Amino acid sequence: MEFNISKEDLEFKESVYRFALKELAPLSQKLEYDDREEFIIENWRKMGEFGLLGLPYPEEYGGAGASVLTTTLAAEALGYAGVDAGLLLSWGAHMILCGVPIWQLGTEAQKKKYLPKLASGEWIGGLGLTEPNAGSDAAGIQTTAVKKGDRYILNGSKMFITNGPIGNVFVVAAVTDKSKKAFGISAFIVEKGMKGFSAGKKLSKLGVRTSPTSELIFEDCEVPEENLLGEPDLGFVNVIKLTLEWERSCLVAPAIGGLELGLKGAVEYAKQRKQFGKPIIKFQAIRHKIADLKMNLEAVRQIVYKVAWLKDKDIPAMMEASVAKLFVSEIMEKMSSEVLQVFGGYGFIKDYLVERGYRDSRLSSIGGGTSEIQRGIIARSILNFK
Amino acid sequence: MDFELTEDQKRLKESFAQLCAKEIAPKADHIDREAIFPKDNIELLGKSGYLGMGFPEEYGGSPGDHITKAILGEELAKACAATYLSAGASAGLFAVPVWKFGTTSQKQKYLPPVLTGKKIGALAITEPHAGSDVLSIKTTASKKGGYWVLNGSKTFITNGPVADYYVVVAYTDKEKKRDGISLFLVDNGTKGFSRGKPLDKLGVRGSPTSELFFDDCEIPEENLLGELNNGFYSLVQTLTHGRIGMAVYSLGIAQACLEECINYAQERTAFGKKLAYFQDIHFKIADMKMYVDVARELIYKAAWMLEQDDPQAILFASLAKLFISEHATKIASDAVQIFGGYGYMKGYKVERLYRDVKLGEIGEGTSEIQRAIITRFVEEQY
Repeated sequence: MEFNISKEDLEFKESVYRFALKELAPLSQKLEYDDREEFIIENWRKMGEFGLLGLPYPEEYGGAGASVLTTTLAAEALGYAGVDAGLLLSWGAHMILCGVPIWQLGTEAQKKKYLPKLASGEWIGGLGLTEPNAGSDAAGIQTTAVKKGDRYILNGSKMFITNGPIGNVFVVAAVTDKSKKAFGISAFIVEKGMKGFSAGKKLSKLGVRTSPTSELIFEDCEVPEENLLGEPDLGFVNVIKLTLEWERSCLVAPAIGGLELGLKGAVEYAKQRKQFGKPIIKFQAIRHKIADLKMNLEAVRQIVYKVAWLKDKDIPAMMEASVAKLFVSEIMEKMSSEVLQVFGGYGFIKDYLVERGYRDSRLSSIGGGTSEIQRGIIARSILNFK
Repeated sequence: MDFELTEDQKRLKESFAQLCAKEIAPKADHIDREAIFPKDNIELLGKSGYLGMGFPEEYGGSPGDHITKAILGEELAKACAATYLSAGASAGLFAVPVWKFGTTSQKQKYLPPVLTGKKIGALAITEPHAGSDVLSIKTTASKKGGYWVLNGSKTFITNGPVADYYVVVAYTDKEKKRDGISLFLVDNGTKGFSRGKPLDKLGVRGSPTSELFFDDCEIPEENLLGELNNGFYSLVQTLTHGRIGMAVYSLGIAQACLEECINYAQERTAFGKKLAYFQDIHFKIADMKMYVDVARELIYKAAWMLEQDDPQAILFASLAKLFISEHATKIASDAVQIFGGYGYMKGYKVERLYRDVKLGEIGEGTSEIQRAIITRFVEEQY
């Protein structure tokens, strides 16, 4: 057992941090984007130029061949530099949820067609899984795909789709054999502009407002058969299997950076804010909040790195990934509330980023599998019940 | 990075777990109920090499790193927290400062019997009026001819009633506060030294605790341990060991609660189905599993840092201890809840675990002290 991070990884993390601080943070910290619910496209393009949008993909498809751990460290650095959580959520949906299934399950032609565009950021990707009546119960989706000649005809709708309004390409799950339940759901690559496909209007959200979310609507949508992703009927199961551990390490990793940024902000504020004649950092109640933040930050860091390491080693880590995801979400919610408390009234108003952080953090126990779903997975891995 | 146990660690863990399950766990209930010190357990741990792990072989030690020690410690604490605590006070709190700061003759005299479990050691810091606030101790040592004369009293001393040897913390120059503290080795039976009767405790009742009294207690001058007036700093250097040790104590108890609940939830039927089927029950168990798994990684990290002599090891020891001790208390409470009425009854393991667990938040620096330490680090960082 040893917990050293390689010199190359540390240097890369540092370079991502410096880039993000200089190039991304200035716009990310402008609250008008959050007010207007606007995706910061300028930052997106810069991330693409820096090579961040396709990090883990092989170089031949425009990626950098980064390991899960390296990708996780980059995500942490982006969070710590103060990049808006919305942008990072969109990044995860694009690079992990859409790109990883294409990379892992796609045909050579599919990989050649989509991955370079995703890696450069020219195209934005997303995953269409959740539906109005199927959230946690993902296998209960109702969108159907029926083979007709050389195409599949999709009918149904998707809900809460990250990057819905701005995406060019989506991996979409649709039932191809209802009798086989979860093993009768296929995955398709659907492009914007395909006949019968449209995105609903942008949904207005509590947090991560710089990441646009919408419905996706399929009305006799025609998808060429070569856009079937992976095996027929098994696309859904394989997409879930493939993205899960990525999702529960890389996708939650910006939270590590976000937590540390919150801690740093709280310490700096508490040092300069004076009440009762002294800086509030002199009060034990504040000091002990800071201790708890640090404790939870290091716990989160260690468990997320572990999942990334397991994934890099190809060791099945379904349970560990759920432990990490559940823990990160619980901590994010509690700690963003504690950071806000240190800032008091100022934390409650919009001029301070902690207000946005508090709202943004609330997604963590819902997105990517609710906390209840994670608890179910953990419990099933150690207890015998159905 | 490598999060996996080595093959050696896996093998050791398994064989040590078997030893604990066979020889130690079956006695834990009796030891607790009758408040009996399990001297035979300590001897067994000496023979098995657990006590001496990581100490030099010339003093009765055997090879081993801090992570391996934590891995095995969890198994022991899981089997019997009282045995774990007394073993740690003897071969950890007592033996580590002797090893780190002792002269060759001190090491030769004290380490082999303690590390083989034949003799018991203890560390005496706390006093009736000085717990977290260590610098408020009143015990003094003054030089008189070729002797040091100790006066004062100690309390809450683990192994107090049964130890053969003590490391005692006393002021040698009270004016100088932290620069005026020294450590002394006191053998049981020394004139002017006496021990109170075992204190009656909430938990870890098999690990005896008492007051110690020093009434013109004369010890030879060669019993000064480490440099004169440097005792406070010596102690600080060994704190990391003790804190990781206490974190492992809580981890073992929390893991024991988890395992008890996993079994019970699959055996006990209510409303026509096993408890495990109820979401409230299995969600509680999932939370236990989460906190235990996260804590274990944090403890391994702290242990690894200590192994590397990383200057932040002491911070990570505090983080790990604070994290697991508070979650373990909640876990034990939830375990009693899952067992319902049975969990409240003597004879059920979770009843004992619920009482034992609380010490994790008090011993080796309270949670409040850990938070104070952590904040001091963070303040400097940003």
